[in-house]
Amino acid sequence: MDAWTTFWGWLLVIVLVIYAGLAIAITIGGFFDVKGMLTTINDQHESKKRAKPDADAAS
Amino acid sequence: MIVAVYLAGTVAVGLYANRYIKDMADYIVAGRSLKSFISVATMLGSEIGLVTVMYTAQKGFTGGFAAFHIGLVAGVGCLLVGLTGLIVVPLRKTGVMTIPEFYGQRFGSGVRVFGGLLLALAGILNMGVFLKAGGVFLTSLTGMTDPNAVNIVMAILISLVLLYTILGGMVSVVITDYVQFVVLSFGMLAVCLFSLNHLGWENIVDTVTMVHGDAGFDPLHEEGFGLSYVIWMIFTFGLVACAVWPTAVMRVCSAKDTQVVRRLYCWSSIGFMTRFIIPQFLGICALAYFWQHSGPGSSFFTAGGALTNDPSETLRAMPLLLSQILPTGLIGLVAAGMLAAFMSTHDSYLLCWASVLVEDVINPIKGGQLTTRTRLILARSLIFVTGIFLLAWSIWYPMGQDMLDYLAVSGAVYFIGAFTVMLFGLYWKRSSRIGAYGALAAGAGALLGLTPVRELLGFTNENLNVEITTAHIGLATVALSLLLMVVGSFLFPDNQTAETTQA
Repeated sequence: MDAWTTFWGWLLVIVLVIYAGLAIAITIGGFFDVKGMLTTINDQHESKKRAKPDADAAS
Repeated sequence: MIVAVYLAGTVAVGLYANRYIKDMADYIVAGRSLKSFISVATMLGSEIGLVTVMYTAQKGFTGGFAAFHIGLVAGVGCLLVGLTGLIVVPLRKTGVMTIPEFYGQRFGSGVRVFGGLLLALAGILNMGVFLKAGGVFLTSLTGMTDPNAVNIVMAILISLVLLYTILGGMVSVVITDYVQFVVLSFGMLAVCLFSLNHLGWENIVDTVTMVHGDAGFDPLHEEGFGLSYVIWMIFTFGLVACAVWPTAVMRVCSAKDTQVVRRLYCWSSIGFMTRFIIPQFLGICALAYFWQHSGPGSSFFTAGGALTNDPSETLRAMPLLLSQILPTGLIGLVAAGMLAAFMSTHDSYLLCWASVLVEDVINPIKGGQLTTRTRLILARSLIFVTGIFLLAWSIWYPMGQDMLDYLAVSGAVYFIGAFTVMLFGLYWKRSSRIGAYGALAAGAGALLGLTPVRELLGFTNENLNVEITTAHIGLATVALSLLLMVVGSFLFPDNQTAETTQA
């Protein structure tokens, strides 16, 4: 049982440390990704808008 | 005040995100524009919700440290899926938006409709106890005793979720998931360290030893979880929850490319492990706290010192602990974080099931003729109807077992068949439409794992004179599903030029 206690104790410590690092990284990186996502969606809409008049003109 | 500001903010996000919704791809997969960090945040934002925290804490309370095995297999399983790309990489390459769409592409439109219907029904059933978890959490944390007050609060919460999900679709889900991830992650870490400091490690270990004995540490111990339960957890949370569960797969479909998919799973493995281990540790802390402060004969323990069998009591142990040991300001922050988590889980799930019903059931039945506008209106209407159903089911359904087991069983109705169909559909060319129908239908057998269903059908251990657990039923259903897929495919092979290529 001592072996299990030590194993679960170390697992808990590792989880807490790694998760804290992950949370910090995602908080910073995620902010820039959200900005990027909104820009990409806007760009997609713009290119669709541009493509539509071209298609209309071609037909 | 903190809670009110957060709730107002999420509705504002929904209104803001509505500006970016121009078509179905924007609404369901945010224009396929998610990168690595935000993919991880939104995946974990949905998967680490208030409900997750509640049911995993309950498992820590009732199972002790041995319950950590669930987090361990979940993390290792997710990492292996990321490293190997099992199911998720070939699925992303197909370019589908939902799992049933893959069924249609591979096995024909009939399998798509059947699989989609089964998925949405199982998913909504799975969600059925979410509001109950939220109600128990709020009651215990704030000291509210009037059940009507809790129901009103829940009704307000579900209304807010419906409002911003209906308006903003995946774009608002992504943004609110990100905010929720940040608030909840730091909140959970702080609470964990606070509880550890308050109770002391030695003290916690001693209590688990007294209450659970060796079974509180060894997951294979026959008086605790046992081998069959561990195998069931490896399948459910180690493989299916990350590779087949639709809210996770939705992120796969939203990812920019397969590299992002692999990275998403490798990084998310930490979160998949954490989402079990940290709340379970809080459940164990609750066990230590109430053993020392209330002891045998209280609402949590029998006079002989054994744990109570009442799931609604064990479910409220963790929030009750927080209300006892946290200072008032920190309780407000935790409540805001948890409510954020609650809403975040709901928005993803509501969007997911409504999308499946529209894209994979109604639209194919109508011959794929529905306009974008009609599909959006339908999706939004279904989200609303589902919200009303959830409110009714949460109030009415008697749980009868640990919430984690309810969720595993109700989810299994869908995911057992889905796992088989996706695995064989992606990797075995001879798998056929009839095999797929059989594999999907077999999943319904998992319903026998729900305690009220077993009691209703007289399928109890007392009547059968043999110990049959939820895990046994789940594993038997997996075997049946695999068998039906193989046998069905050999006996009824597809005509490759007909049905399959039609989809």
